[in-house]
Amino acid sequence: MEAQSQSPGLDAKYYFLIRRLHSLCGLIPVGVFLCFHLVANSAILWPGQPGAEFQKAIDRLHGALGPMLVPVEIVGIFIPLFFHAILGVKIWLSSSPNASSYTHGPNIRFTLQRITGVFAFVFILYHVWHMHWFGKPLGAGHFELHTKAGEPAAAVTTATAIQAAWWIAPIYFLGVVASVFHLANGIWTMLITWGITIRPASQRVSGYVCAVFGVVLALVGIGALSGFRTFNVDATASSGHGVTAATHAP
Amino acid sequence: MSKSFKVRILRQADPNSGSHWETFNVDYEDGMNMTTVFQRIAADPVTTEKQPTVPVAFDSCCLEEVCGACTMVINGRVRQACSALVDALLEESPDAIEVRPMTKFPVVRDLVVDRHAMFESLKCVKAWVHVDGYYDLGAGPRLAPQVQEEAYPLSRCMTCGCCVEACPQFSDKTGFIGPAAISQAILFNLHPTGRVERDDRLGVLTGPGGIADCGNSQNCVKVCPKEIPLTDSIAKAGRDTTLYKLRQWFGR
Amino acid sequence: MANQQVVVVGGGLAGLAASMKLAEAGIHVALISMVPVKRSHSVCAQGGINSVNDYTRQQGDNEWKHFDDTVYGGDFLQHQPPVKEMCDWAPRVVDLLDRLGVPFNRTAEGFRDQRRFGGTLYKRTAFAGATTGQQMIYALDEQVRRWEAEGLVDKYEYWEFLGPIIDDRGDCRGVVAQDMFSMEIRSFPSDAVVLATGGNGLIFGRSTMSMICTGGAAARAYMAGVDYANGEFVQVHPTAIPGTDKLRLMSESARGEGGRVWVPRRPQDDRDPTSIPPGERYYFLEERYPAYGNLVPRDIATREIFDVCVTQGLSVESGRMCVYLDVSELPADTHKKLDGILEIYEKFQGADPRVVPMKIFPGVHYSMGGLWIDFEKNETTGGLVLGSTRNQHSNVPGLFVIGEADYQFHGGNRLGANSLLSCIFSGLIVAPSIENRLNSLANGAAADQAASMFEGAATIHQEQMDSLIKNQGDENPYTLQLELGDWMTRQCTVVRNNKDLAALLEKIEEFKSRFDRISLSDRSNWTNQNFSFARALGDMILMARVMAEGALKRDECRGAHFKPEFGIPAPDAQDPAELRRQAQAWCQAFKKKNEQWLKTTRARYTPQGPEFSYEEVDTSLIPPRPRTYGLTGAEIIGEVWAEMSRDASNEPPKAVASAAGGSSA
Repeated sequence: MEAQSQSPGLDAKYYFLIRRLHSLCGLIPVGVFLCFHLVANSAILWPGQPGAEFQKAIDRLHGALGPMLVPVEIVGIFIPLFFHAILGVKIWLSSSPNASSYTHGPNIRFTLQRITGVFAFVFILYHVWHMHWFGKPLGAGHFELHTKAGEPAAAVTTATAIQAAWWIAPIYFLGVVASVFHLANGIWTMLITWGITIRPASQRVSGYVCAVFGVVLALVGIGALSGFRTFNVDATASSGHGVTAATHAP
Repeated sequence: MSKSFKVRILRQADPNSGSHWETFNVDYEDGMNMTTVFQRIAADPVTTEKQPTVPVAFDSCCLEEVCGACTMVINGRVRQACSALVDALLEESPDAIEVRPMTKFPVVRDLVVDRHAMFESLKCVKAWVHVDGYYDLGAGPRLAPQVQEEAYPLSRCMTCGCCVEACPQFSDKTGFIGPAAISQAILFNLHPTGRVERDDRLGVLTGPGGIADCGNSQNCVKVCPKEIPLTDSIAKAGRDTTLYKLRQWFGR
Repeated sequence: MANQQVVVVGGGLAGLAASMKLAEAGIHVALISMVPVKRSHSVCAQGGINSVNDYTRQQGDNEWKHFDDTVYGGDFLQHQPPVKEMCDWAPRVVDLLDRLGVPFNRTAEGFRDQRRFGGTLYKRTAFAGATTGQQMIYALDEQVRRWEAEGLVDKYEYWEFLGPIIDDRGDCRGVVAQDMFSMEIRSFPSDAVVLATGGNGLIFGRSTMSMICTGGAAARAYMAGVDYANGEFVQVHPTAIPGTDKLRLMSESARGEGGRVWVPRRPQDDRDPTSIPPGERYYFLEERYPAYGNLVPRDIATREIFDVCVTQGLSVESGRMCVYLDVSELPADTHKKLDGILEIYEKFQGADPRVVPMKIFPGVHYSMGGLWIDFEKNETTGGLVLGSTRNQHSNVPGLFVIGEADYQFHGGNRLGANSLLSCIFSGLIVAPSIENRLNSLANGAAADQAASMFEGAATIHQEQMDSLIKNQGDENPYTLQLELGDWMTRQCTVVRNNKDLAALLEKIEEFKSRFDRISLSDRSNWTNQNFSFARALGDMILMARVMAEGALKRDECRGAHFKPEFGIPAPDAQDPAELRRQAQAWCQAFKKKNEQWLKTTRARYTPQGPEFSYEEVDTSLIPPRPRTYGLTGAEIIGEVWAEMSRDASNEPPKAVASAAGGSSA
């Protein structure tokens, strides 16, 4: 038993802290970011001029952060995400899932949590590559908030990237579902891990709440995706609707 | 005794040998359980291929599911052989009942495994009430019936190993102490005298292999033959360790 | 005492209690057990533990009454000073267990709850759910684990005791034991040895006992010179669930709540029991005992069930003996009350007793007999001289026996919920006795003895093992054990008679010669259970002879030993004068019977067979009186006996026979 080891090393000393941080990182900031991200994206579905509300939402977000945007992205998202992912993979590799022998809900979700975690992480890496300038030379799309001329381009560039090939949307679909499941189920286990839900009854209730949360968030994400998938890139580009609408943004 | 059925057993001569399957035909008896099956095989150890072999080594003691000795994996599910009735097992798997040793412990021989590690874990979490001594010092502390009702189910743990066998987080790689030991730590933290060593126990649970290794698959509570609320204990340990660490970091 | 160590063999309640108490005194303990100690047979005890307590005290109960119930229940066959000491200690033992964290059931106010058990009028029994024995052994196991962590106890689990090591002077100097995994045989030098090795139910094939209760350890001590006492006294519980591998207890409460015992009037009627009309059911307890019905005393229930199946051939099944215990007609709220025990039946029999009648049969449950031990009476209190090296000490100096393995506390019959008490009590009191012995040891610690003695002892056992493993023949140990068990159960349990016992003894001789032709299917040298079982079978055959011959020799009825040909006919005349005359004759016969048979049976091993002697029982505290519970004419017998006792006390007092004379300890 490692629990017995005599002289704890640094990782042994901070074992609990590290694991609690791992748990926490999944929710704040990564999970919270996912919520904001999907909700903001779903603005693409808002009525009115296509893409206008989406552009507004993104502008508002970026505007608020100003020059702090990149540092916040690195410290608030990427470092916690990588920490959560790398430690998560380590935990996964040390476990021996057995959902085929013991087939009840929590155990199947235990296995799914690990599968979706890995899938979501790979997807996020792809997503970041896919939507950024450094992916462009290799054939990826390139998300831009504004054109070089300063015109709104968020919706158009996103939609262009999504529609670049037939298989991209399905990948995004799976990525969104996996991420949302991982978050919703993660919240359920987190409530147990932190000792907030103790009795089976309270765990059942929190299970329903997490399930509803997950389904709603997944619908939001899928809705956004379908919005971009069906976004008429040419029409918007030529009519300039998106551009006009976006000019109202701060 | 016209009816007979097949039993497939994963056998291993000693810790250093490889394992292999052997199949036996066993005459059916009314109300038969798996320990009887092994006894009948021992009396006449011949495989279905008419190959003479040796009796199957297996652990057993009370045969009433209170000692925990005869724990093994039957039809893919960990349980006690004494309370595993052949009728029910054949319903699960009509072709042959499949028996193998627990996978989380070193095999000694056939179905006998060395569960010594589980008892060591009990030592780690100081699963005892540290009394002054065994002289007559009067009765123990008065205890509300509610506390007894909470403690009694936890106190029925027979260290059989079902929970750790089914736990996907319990392995050499994690060094996870397992649900049984966590639950015992909670049990002794409940006791008015046992509470004295509470922080020692929580300290162990916050270390490597402690409570943080639980992955909430909740298999433990599903397979526990004594229906011990192991997940309640785990969640309580989660709460208590969190508060313990906060106390430790921020002073009392 | 730096290099002194004590070997405790057996890790049940008694062995663990002794280990922790020795460790507390700073004495190093090597604890040897065939199974991880937490899995010992004590876990099977369900009911509870008896002690006088604050409630019962205020209802007029006291330690003396507990003591009286115990010796009366045991038919006065036990030496009284140890029993008195035990009953005096009982409240303290329960207090201690309470402090150790045993989750006893609680009252609303937080005190220990108590229930009533057989053989007493008071609610004397503390309990922890339906698993009191399990809870207690866990508490002691935890204490011993603590001492293990502190380095005072070394556990040797999966080690089997093979025999004591006895030096030229006849002192016990250690034990030889075998690692059940690697089959390594080695000596454990020690300055005192404690045997806490439990009962021997496996001699009867299937019993309520665990698979480790072969009695092998006691047999090996007996062969090495420790006397075996009262072997013929075996408790049979009336209601056990016959399984294919063992018998599982079905608590008396099933009958207490209204369960009825019956068999179909037509032998082995193969109809669904629920479809058999009431007129074709034989409610034999209700018919034979209209007053008591299904709640006749335990021994009577046992005998009647046995009689219906064995003598009358009315067993429900033809292949095995059983009768119906029917709770299926009871209302649902009664079922709810019985849930705990009904679940056991359902789990192991796969049938719901709420719907179909349970099949039950009496099962061998406890051995009152055991290895002979001494005691020292405290003349002031009537109890024991605590710390005396004679307490729990066998006739081999340095070898102590405690728990079910000894014969001391239960006489001819054990009261319910007294066994947990006797196990822990004997474990606790043996420690100061050993401590005093260690302090007074004249010829140095065992560790300083010649190594050759220890090597030699191990070699002998190694040779015995080699020869058994190599043995060639046509006998199978498993079938031989089933046959032995069958014979012992039929001839030497509930109802005994000399013709059958003589036949049994002949059969045992046959088993002995067949054992010499035993052949193992497994001749390997690693975790060879086939071998361990066969070796224990040899021990079982040896002890079967001690029990059967003891039973044959004891021509009387006492406690669990029931031999109708020597029963005293109960007074049943209608005419009062004749009834009184009959009662007087009964009392005279009873007195005569006690003069001849109120004695401890003591068997000494010789290669030709046991050598029996009979020893006076110390009844210095409570004079023996007729045990008339459930007997017809009980009232008149009681009256006449009281008159006779009054008359006797007017005579000059006779010297009370001294207890356990001629002890060699």
